[in-house]
Amino acid sequence: MTVPLGAYIAVSAVLFFTGCAGVLVRRNAVVILMCVELMLNAANLALVAFSRKYGSIDERGSVFVIFVFVIAAAEVAVGLAIILSAYRNRPVVDVDEIHQMKG
Amino acid sequence: MTFDFVEPVVFAVLSIGVIAGGVAVVMLNRITAAALLMAFTFLSMAGMFVLLGAETIAAFQVLIYVGAITVLILYGVMFTKFSTSPRALFFQKQTPLAAVFVAAVAVPIVIVATLSFTGAPPRPGGGDLPALATSVFTDFAFPFEIASVLLLAAMVGAIVLTKRDDQEEAAARRRR
Repeated sequence: MTVPLGAYIAVSAVLFFTGCAGVLVRRNAVVILMCVELMLNAANLALVAFSRKYGSIDERGSVFVIFVFVIAAAEVAVGLAIILSAYRNRPVVDVDEIHQMKG
Repeated sequence: MTFDFVEPVVFAVLSIGVIAGGVAVVMLNRITAAALLMAFTFLSMAGMFVLLGAETIAAFQVLIYVGAITVLILYGVMFTKFSTSPRALFFQKQTPLAAVFVAAVAVPIVIVATLSFTGAPPRPGGGDLPALATSVFTDFAFPFEIASVLLLAAMVGAIVLTKRDDQEEAAARRRR
């Protein structure tokens, strides 16, 4: 009796919506970035699990996971740069306070 | 197999780790702790990848997420001042709407996802690295190159966004 695919997908869905709730509810820009990372990681789990179940021999699902890694790294680097440069103008990280991009 | 009970137990422990870590990231008011718990979530997720037979992905997960991204996020936490008032956490004008939205979308998807896929994922025959590498460097060679250009652009963009020009630098030094 191994673990069914549905269990992996359930964990993935729960983590995804935990991150989704965090993005919608939390107001700290850095925490929002963390929650986006959680959502991306949940999607990775679903991709790998489906790749195991339905994938052919050439691991295409896992290839997409590698591209998600690349996107996640780029996103967090640029996101933090934006947060820091906005913070330098006005020392707040609350996204309700940062409502205009004018310098 | 004799050790059939091991895999479900490991899976249960890892999924508790993943979900508890994720919930803690959302709920905790102390952001440094939240960032470290995010790393914990990523580590548990790497364990899940191993359980699924995707060892290479697990290794990348540890290197990129637990290593690079967590460190970057921690730098972000330490460079910024954040409010620790309870207002920053949950009770604000978006909360009811967000709760309704997440519940309305999440509950059906979790139910459908859990009920739809009942078959066990097949056990892989060996490591996933050869197949993965073959795919990346043959069929996905062009997207791979595009991804490297994207990373270069992100790196240059991050440097440009955070760089101060000389005037700002002088002003900041005077303030100190």
